[in-house]
Amino acid sequence: MSGVLTADAVIVGAGVLGAAAAHHLARAGHRVVILERGAPGREGSGTTAGNLHIQAVHSQRPGQEVPLDNARFLPLQRAASERWETLEEELGASVELRRSGGFTVAETPGQHAELVEKHAWETGAGIPTEVLDGDAARAALPQLGPTVIAATWCALDGYANPLKVTPAYLSSAARSGARTHPYSPVRRIDRHREGWRVTAGRDGGLVVDTPVVVDTAGPWLGRVAAMAGAALRMSPVAIQMHSTVRLPPILPHLVQHIGEGLSVKQVAAGNLLIGGGWPARTLDLEGRSLPSLASLHGNVRLAARVLPFLADLRLLRMWAGPLAATPDEMPLIGEVPGLPGFLVAGGTYAFTFAPLWGETLRCLAESKPPPVDIADLGPGRLMDHADHQADHQADHQEERNTQC
Amino acid sequence: MTADHWNEPSGAPETVTRDVLIVGGGPAGLSAAERLAAAGLTVTLVDEQPELGGQYYRRPAPAVAERWGDHRPEGGALVERVRAAGAECRTRHTVWGVDDDGRTLLAVDGEGRPVRLRGRYLIIATGAYERVLPFPGWQLPGVATPGFAQHLAASEHTPIGERVLVAGSGPFLLPVACSLVDLGVTVVGVAEAGTPYRPRPAALGALRHPARLRELAGYVTRLARARVPIWQGHSVVRAEGTDRVSSVTVAAVGDPAAARTFLVDALCVGYGFRPQTDLARMLGCDVRTDAVTGDATPVTDPRGRTSRPGVYVIGEAAGIGGAPTARARGLLAAFDILIREGRPPARRDLLRAGAALRGLARFTELTGRLFPSPARLTSSLVPPLPGDTMICRCEAVTAREIRAVAGEAEVPAPVDVNAVKARTRAGMGPCQGRECGVAVAALVRSVAGRTTDANVFPARTPIRPIPLRALLATETTPETTPKTTPGASPDALGPATPQEERP
Repeated sequence: MSGVLTADAVIVGAGVLGAAAAHHLARAGHRVVILERGAPGREGSGTTAGNLHIQAVHSQRPGQEVPLDNARFLPLQRAASERWETLEEELGASVELRRSGGFTVAETPGQHAELVEKHAWETGAGIPTEVLDGDAARAALPQLGPTVIAATWCALDGYANPLKVTPAYLSSAARSGARTHPYSPVRRIDRHREGWRVTAGRDGGLVVDTPVVVDTAGPWLGRVAAMAGAALRMSPVAIQMHSTVRLPPILPHLVQHIGEGLSVKQVAAGNLLIGGGWPARTLDLEGRSLPSLASLHGNVRLAARVLPFLADLRLLRMWAGPLAATPDEMPLIGEVPGLPGFLVAGGTYAFTFAPLWGETLRCLAESKPPPVDIADLGPGRLMDHADHQADHQADHQEERNTQC
Repeated sequence: MTADHWNEPSGAPETVTRDVLIVGGGPAGLSAAERLAAAGLTVTLVDEQPELGGQYYRRPAPAVAERWGDHRPEGGALVERVRAAGAECRTRHTVWGVDDDGRTLLAVDGEGRPVRLRGRYLIIATGAYERVLPFPGWQLPGVATPGFAQHLAASEHTPIGERVLVAGSGPFLLPVACSLVDLGVTVVGVAEAGTPYRPRPAALGALRHPARLRELAGYVTRLARARVPIWQGHSVVRAEGTDRVSSVTVAAVGDPAAARTFLVDALCVGYGFRPQTDLARMLGCDVRTDAVTGDATPVTDPRGRTSRPGVYVIGEAAGIGGAPTARARGLLAAFDILIREGRPPARRDLLRAGAALRGLARFTELTGRLFPSPARLTSSLVPPLPGDTMICRCEAVTAREIRAVAGEAEVPAPVDVNAVKARTRAGMGPCQGRECGVAVAALVRSVAGRTTDANVFPARTPIRPIPLRALLATETTPETTPKTTPGASPDALGPATPQEERP
């Protein structure tokens, strides 16, 4: 048939995960086509805070129903941390990477106990952290307010500019021959011979045959998977961020909270970013999600309690962006049971995990074992039992493992 | 010490509830406030300046007024009538956003305290911004707008410089040049990008407006007496200087070869005005791109009604028309609300206001014919700008960077202006992209084969940078006793979602 492209992998969604997967696949010699419904990196990957979370994260953002298993995250965070360390060299580009460490603070005895417990897990996972009492924390970071009674310090926490990371990944992928099609929403995904036929574009004029489809469509991940015949229970949400006016360097470290939704840092341009996963007013998958004024108030009150100097700054901007959350709040990565060659990746903390999931998706596409254990993170857990072809998946997985 | 005691505010923010809430104390807002308050409705008028009057009726500082007099005494009289009619006037209140209910306006007062403002009717009379377009050197100190020069002259009796060149386009340039001359400034010339003062058929309509013709002739005579040349069809090519502007180069539009350079210590460049619509857009009023100006403009009817029930947009915020038009629009909006409230004004007043607005519309249309359209000016002046021209002054982003992003890859039309913002930081600074948004969009369109999805960046909260301290007050806000008239009709405002520009 004329006009049909062929590729070794089609990536749906040019966010940070899709871009990282494209980089890893293209660099390994695969022919990669990336399909993006809008502008690359404009949704969750362009609106995220850009934190590199290496110490254990707060388990419940404001409004979140199910706490995440933050102990389970730790080996993944450690593996991601190692990959961030070499990322700028690997991509040949600056992403404003800064590993200047971060504090996670506690304001109550219960939260203090949580810090001590998480420190033990972190030590077990090989992530170096240190528990400080309030005065020691204030000695290390004098901007911390008097309500802070303890903090953990992790030298590996950091920041990268999300507005640079996704473009850098895509540029690297392009140098290895990957082709990005922006403003090309996917219309259909059909079985075709041994693989898939993906139809995209506003007029449906872009048709690509491929053995592997990588669904990294963020909040649209479930919709894209449904086109291929998989019903995944996703629970996308929108969260919001707030930025102050620019300031000379004043806060060198990332500051988070163990018991409430808070992250504060100063970015390269000098603005202080205040976030913590506070829910936006709307999640709008067709247009622009709107931030909530109630969340603004809540987030800023918390931030100014932990870092009182913030009260004297001016709010410059706020924005909302979508998050491809799962009902159990855990990452999602793996092949969809019953759909050979159809891979999905998403879930919370995708920015921190991007270098790891990019490499993992390449391994999955090549039927090689992934760099970390992801058996419990696959999409099977998000499918109804009728669809959950567990036996088939087990057989398939075994077959793959023997190939590697 | 526990978390509960730290940094908590002393009380809940004040909530003001009125029959009518008016944002903007210029000619439009004042005219509406006077009629509504006189008819017995409870009215609060908020304005961010220390004194009511807006830009047009800007009040002189007391010392200036005593020594030099009031340049527009009718403005002071109008403010007095508004106060006498019983409208509550709140100055130094900056409205920065709309609460999650889509109708409560969030403001900070002069002391940085939060204030919540509600009205059964909302009248948005937020006025206009000056229309600026980038040129090389516009980021230098000493480069300002004609409006700023006029503000200094009128309220402080202070000249913006000693040797000043005035440039841009529109009927505002001549009175500003005259004000400067009156202050003893050497005005080296007025560069008008259009050719409005050449006799031609389009100008014949001016004969129907003898008062305006006399006013114009007065300006021209005063400038001629002061030997201030008026160069028609000329625009600023560049400004130069080290610490501040020291010279400016002017050339015929489209012919940069015939350029002349003048020594100055200040330069005023402006291309008229454009509606200040952020609040209307946040409130969910439909907007459309005006074909002549290229501006996102709220869709209104002659009464000021918008797509959102109970929300009115009047004055310059509804489309540039000048102070007399703003006053007529204010009256008509007030009359419409009074009719809805069962307190109709005299039929004679209604007819007179409607006729005045129609007459003024003809004059606005004539002005539009005489001066080049802002959309055309933008598309002729912005695309040829040199690559190192600073487009976004807040974030120091050049034309070259914006063109590079717009020309990247195989991005088909339309280019997302927000994607350009995300990649370049253009529009991320304290002005929220209000100054550069039009130029960024014009640059993108000038790259071969590109169009844009919108002409400006979307309206974002906060409209102005606000102190975080103002957000520290308690979230739950017990309503202070609402002051609305007894037996008033039910709430006019429905639910809302913010609107994007629709081309």
